[in-house]
Amino acid sequence: MTTGLRREKQEPEPLPEPFKVNCQTEVEVKHGVGLHARPSVTFTRLAKSFPCSIEIAVNGSDVWLNGKSIIKIMGAKIRKGSILRIRADGILAEEAIRALKELIERNFDEEKKHGRTA
Amino acid sequence: MAEPLRLTAKSASPGIASGPAFLAEEPKAPSAAERPDAPAPSTVGGFGVLETAIDISIGELERLAEGADAESRDIIDFQIEVLRDPTIAEATGARMEADENVVFAWVATLDAYIGELEAADEEQMRARAVDILDIKNRVLGALAGTPIADFPPGSVFVGKDMEPSRFLAHDWSKGGGIALFAGSTAGHVALLARAKSVPMVVGTGRFSAADGDPVSVDGDAGAVVLKAGGMLIPSLVPARTSATNTQAESGELRTADGVAIQLSININDPAEIDALDPATAGVGLMRSEFSVASLADAANEERQLAIYRRVLEQAGNRPVIIRMLDIGGDKPLAGLEDLPGLSASGLRGIRLLLARPEIARVQARALLRATVFGRLSVMLPMVTFPDEIDRMRDLFREEAEKLGRRALLHRMPPIGMMVEVPSAALMLDTFGSAAFFSFGTNDLTQYLAATARDDIEADTGKAAPAVVRLIAQAVKLTAGKPISICGDMAGDPRYLPGLLAAGLRHFSVAPVRRPAIRSAIIGLNADGTRAAGE
Repeated sequence: MTTGLRREKQEPEPLPEPFKVNCQTEVEVKHGVGLHARPSVTFTRLAKSFPCSIEIAVNGSDVWLNGKSIIKIMGAKIRKGSILRIRADGILAEEAIRALKELIERNFDEEKKHGRTA
Repeated sequence: MAEPLRLTAKSASPGIASGPAFLAEEPKAPSAAERPDAPAPSTVGGFGVLETAIDISIGELERLAEGADAESRDIIDFQIEVLRDPTIAEATGARMEADENVVFAWVATLDAYIGELEAADEEQMRARAVDILDIKNRVLGALAGTPIADFPPGSVFVGKDMEPSRFLAHDWSKGGGIALFAGSTAGHVALLARAKSVPMVVGTGRFSAADGDPVSVDGDAGAVVLKAGGMLIPSLVPARTSATNTQAESGELRTADGVAIQLSININDPAEIDALDPATAGVGLMRSEFSVASLADAANEERQLAIYRRVLEQAGNRPVIIRMLDIGGDKPLAGLEDLPGLSASGLRGIRLLLARPEIARVQARALLRATVFGRLSVMLPMVTFPDEIDRMRDLFREEAEKLGRRALLHRMPPIGMMVEVPSAALMLDTFGSAAFFSFGTNDLTQYLAATARDDIEADTGKAAPAVVRLIAQAVKLTAGKPISICGDMAGDPRYLPGLLAAGLRHFSVAPVRRPAIRSAIIGLNADGTRAAGE
């Protein structure tokens, strides 16, 4: 279960440049209730679908949280207007960043889900 | 009989429901004997068993989600996502590397998150604490092989809070409602109740009710009505130690020359509390290790609390002494045998509890929380040195402080000790920090006479004079503190004259031994001599 930690210690597989990247982006959260249970689930599930490490930092904080952890994401006090920095390191990092940013810009697909509020 | 009592509350889901009360904190912990098909608890073996339990839990949740509506599905998804959280696995793994047992590593990790959530500023966050508790208990249930218990359809669920999975597993088509002492309108259960039109109120404050009492929940006006009457239990119960109250108040048992004698019972299982008749002074010894069938049970604070609470509520105003887990030595606990350095040593009783404080901390919390439900005293097993009591009391204080921060109702119980190690009996005047003493004659005999455990029955008779003499000396060293005897010797009329002469006035015996001891006491004087005319 600690493979996430150990991976960093291992010799990295040599990879062609386009696949092995370190990426970062910034996005504003527009969702009304911040990142509570359901949007958090959507976010971490998407994050976990990528093999790279994904971390987030909120409102200029230099504390980087594991973006695949629902506990960390939910506890991060993300609200409407929060600025989220997302960084990814490893395989498909660029794709991960793009997908997560788009998810936030689409308000976590909340409208598609029966138009309910959390 | 009693007037109906109406308590105002916060409406969490509209509608009105009436039904028999189901008290959530009543024990739902079948003993090992009642669940014969349960797999043998195998809590050894490291992370693998936890991973299996997590997988079982995810499987249970996925089955629960089949055919569920969108709201339920969301909440189940959330719980599954928490079970798959990589940081929980890492934190649990780190604790295990620090030599914690897998079950306690899981409990400590989840408790830390629960504590953080309960302390959050926003109600939205605080309302998630019960989700994590739900997950913690579901995995503990999977480890122990017991599923979360359902309650009768049509009843009104009464409790401090309700776990979402319990709501989801329940058949609401027969009606019923929910009344929570605490709870939150922002909680997942409130969300589910609104979606399923189940009337629900929260924040009633803790009230007294019995299982099956007619209760009605008014989710429109925000009220709960106890039709059979009841009372609101104030959150601050004035402190009262049972040590001040050990004189015979009930029972009216006296020796032939009129000296009051207390006769209590020893119980192993909460069901045996039914034997507490009006002539019995209380429970002189509850052996808590019999309610804890495995390490997963030992890690389960809520289950222990439910068991202790049931005993205390049945005992009413009579004192109950619960002995902390006396495990180790010849009393193994499933899952504990592989702990490093345990098998070969004489680690048992208080020594084991202090060496494995994660076990003691869970039980301390359950006992601290149970103390508000009755006259509970806590007894420590196999105490040899005074500092063992001090260290355990410190542990209780630390846990009390944590409970206080979490705003959980609790009270410090008097802490006393078993006198069953000869050196402790000889030095009893140095145990100033013990609130009371109770002689355990089985171990005292074994250690005093160097008897093998198997031969104890044969040797007890021969060793009895030495044991009684040691007790008589020790009684003189107790500085007026409450003293009792709860070992097998107390239940055998042959030893009664010697024990009375030694100064003992409180006997705690197995329920079946009670009639014999009662009639023997009536025929004896307080100095142990036979009454004239007998």
